[in-house]
Amino acid sequence: MSEITSAEWTAILLSLRVAMIATLVATPFGIALAFLLARRDFWGKSILDAMVHLPLVLPPVVTGYLLLLALGRRGFVGAWLAENLGIVFAFRWTGAALACGVMSFPLLVRPIRLSIEAVDRRLEQAASTLGAAPWRVFATVTLPLALPGILAGMVLGFAKAIGEFGATITFVANIPGETQTISSAIYSLIQTPDGDAAAMRLVLVSIVIATVALIASEWFARRATQRLHGN
Amino acid sequence: MNRIAGVFAALLMLSGTALPADAQDKTVTVFAAASMKNALDDIDAAYTARTGVKIVVSYGPSSGLAKQIEQGAPADVFISADTDWMDYAIAKKTINEPTRVNLLGNEMVLIAPKDSKIDKVAIGNGFDLARLAGDGRIATGDVKSVPSGKYARAALEKLGSWQAAEPKFAMADNVRAALTLVARNEATLGIVYATDAKVEPGVKLVGTFPAGSHPAIIYPVAATTTAKPGTTDYLAFLRSMAAKNILEKYGFKFLLSPTT
Amino acid sequence: MLRVDIKKQLGEFMLEAAFASEGRVTGLFGASGAGKTSLINMIAGLLRPDRGVIALDGEILDDTANGVHVPPHRRRIGYVFQDARLFPHMNVAQNLDYGRRMNGLADDAAQQKRVTDLLDIGHLLDRRPGKLSGGERQRVALGRALLSKPRLLLLDEPLGSLDEGRKVEILPYLVRLRDEANVPMVYVSHDAGEMRQLATQVVMLKRGRVMAFGGIEVLPGG
Repeated sequence: MSEITSAEWTAILLSLRVAMIATLVATPFGIALAFLLARRDFWGKSILDAMVHLPLVLPPVVTGYLLLLALGRRGFVGAWLAENLGIVFAFRWTGAALACGVMSFPLLVRPIRLSIEAVDRRLEQAASTLGAAPWRVFATVTLPLALPGILAGMVLGFAKAIGEFGATITFVANIPGETQTISSAIYSLIQTPDGDAAAMRLVLVSIVIATVALIASEWFARRATQRLHGN
Repeated sequence: MNRIAGVFAALLMLSGTALPADAQDKTVTVFAAASMKNALDDIDAAYTARTGVKIVVSYGPSSGLAKQIEQGAPADVFISADTDWMDYAIAKKTINEPTRVNLLGNEMVLIAPKDSKIDKVAIGNGFDLARLAGDGRIATGDVKSVPSGKYARAALEKLGSWQAAEPKFAMADNVRAALTLVARNEATLGIVYATDAKVEPGVKLVGTFPAGSHPAIIYPVAATTTAKPGTTDYLAFLRSMAAKNILEKYGFKFLLSPTT
Repeated sequence: MLRVDIKKQLGEFMLEAAFASEGRVTGLFGASGAGKTSLINMIAGLLRPDRGVIALDGEILDDTANGVHVPPHRRRIGYVFQDARLFPHMNVAQNLDYGRRMNGLADDAAQQKRVTDLLDIGHLLDRRPGKLSGGERQRVALGRALLSKPRLLLLDEPLGSLDEGRKVEILPYLVRLRDEANVPMVYVSHDAGEMRQLATQVVMLKRGRVMAFGGIEVLPGG
C-alpha cells in the first residue's frame, strides 16, 4: 500500500475541517436544546424532541434534498441569504458542514441531555441559595458537571459528521477540494478503474478516525461518572 | 469555564484555516461527464503544467451535473455526454451559449468481464441481447437520464432487442459505475462507451453498436454564466492540438479542427 | 425578625404555620414528616406557599395575595442542607468561596480565616468533597453558607446523617456559630437534646400545625 496522494490528503483535510466546524458550531445549539429538553416543560416539547431526532430516522438523501430545497441558491431561505448576506451553502464546504451538522445533531444532543439530566438538581438548589442567578447556576454548576457528557456527545457527533455521505452528496455534490469529503472521494474512487488502492487507503483512514473518536467518547463518558462522584 | 471557551475558540479558528486559502482565482471548476475521466485528467495535468492554473473536476452523470449547475453549483465549464443535457442547461439559463461547441464523438460498445466465456458478437438487427446475458445482468447508466443509458436504450430499441433485455438491466449512477460492475464480475454484460472499455483492463470488448442504431453521440462543451475569467483560456486549450492528441489516444473522436 | 404566615397542601395534610421570631436560633421541632423541611424550603424560596406571607426584617419575600415571590438567589438566606450538597467539581476552598463570588462580595480574608478557624476546616482547603468524612463535609457546608454573608441561616437537620460520634463532634461548632457568628439561624431537628443546646426559641410542629411556640421549655422532656 503506497503513499497517500495529494488528492486524498485534500479529501481527508476537508473532511476534518468540515466535521470540526460542524461539531463546534452545532454544540452551543445542542447544549441549549438539551437543556430545554432536560429541564423545561412546555407546549410542543415532544414535537421539538421529534424534530431534533428526525435526521437520525429520515433517509439521509431526504435530509440533503430538504436542505437543498430550503437553502440551495434557489431555495426559499437560501435565495434570501445569497442575495442579502452573500452567504451560500449549496455546493460549498459551508454547506457540507451544515449537512454534517444537521445529520450529527441528534447524536450530539442525546448524551448532553442525559448528562444534564444526571446533574443533581439539589446541587443547583444549593447554588441558588448561595446567591447564584439561574444562568449562573447553569454556567458554574450544571455545565461543568455535564461537561464530560458534552464532550462525549461532541466526539460522537464529530465521528458521525466525518462519515456523513447521503445528505452531503445531495446538498453539496462532490467537488474535489470544496465538498469532496472522504466518503464522497471513496464513492468516486470505487467507480473508477484502478481506484481501488486509493479507496482502500481512505477506507483505512476512515476506520482509524472513527475508532479513535469512539474510544475518546468512551473515555469522556467514564470521566463524566467520576466527576459526578467528586473524585 | 473561560479556559474551555478559549480552547473552543482556538479549535474553531484552527479548523477555519485547515486548508490553504481557496486560491479561487487560480482555479477553473469543470463539471464533466464521467466517461471523460482519464482523458480529461491528462489534459488538465498538461494545462496546469503549462499555465499553473489548477483545474478542479467533478465527474458525474451529465444529468446529475446539469441539475447541480441549475441549483447553483459553482461550475465554470460543463462537458456533457449528450446534447440533451446541454440543451437543458441552456434552457435553464445557466450556460453562456456562444461558448458552446460540439467537441467530441464516441461509440457505444458491449463489454463483458475479462474472463467471461462470451465471445465477440456482431450487433445488428434482431440482436438477441437477452439470450446472450443468460441469467446475468446487463449494466449501464440509468436509461431514463444518464446519456450512456439513453444511447443504450435507443440502440436496443432500434435493433429490436430492448423489450426482452429490459428486465435484466442493472442501472448505475453513471457510465463508470456501470463499467466497474462489469469489471468486478457483478454483471455479465455492460453497455458503455468505447473510450471506457479502453481504460478498464478488467473488461473485454464483445461488440460495437452500429453508429446508425442510436442518435449521434456528441459531447458539447460550454462555459457557464458564472464562469471565471480564466475559463476562456481553458476552453481554448480543450480545442488545441495537444488536447486532441490526448483525446484521440483514449479513443474519442475529435469533431472540430484543432487550433494551434 | 422572621415573620411566617402560610398555608400549603402537603400530600395528605395541610401545613399551616404562623409565627414571628426574633430569636438567635429559632428551632423548628417535630417528628419526621411534620412539615419542617417544607417550611424552611419556603423560607429559602425553594418552595412556594399556596397562600400567605413570609417576611424577613420587614422585607416581603413571599406574598401570594400580591403575587410577590423573591427567588432564592436574591433572598440572601443561607441554607445548610442535611446532605451537605458540596459541589463535587470544586475543592473545599472553591466551595467556600462560591457564595462570595455569586453575591459579588469583596474578598475578605479576615472573615474567611475566622470561619475556617471556627469550624476547623483550614487544613481541608485543597481537598475534594469526595475525600472528606461526613463530619468534615457538614462543617464545610456550614462554612460555605456562612461565607455568603447571609442575613439568616437555615439549617435542615445538619446532624441528621451523622453517627453519634460525629454529632458530638459537630454540636459544639454549632454552639460556637450561634454565639460568635452573629447571624440569626433557623434550626430544624427532631432531636430534643440538640434543640435544647442550641435554640433560643422553639416552634413545635405536628402534622403541619404549630402546636407550641416559646422558649426551650416547650420541648418534651422538660
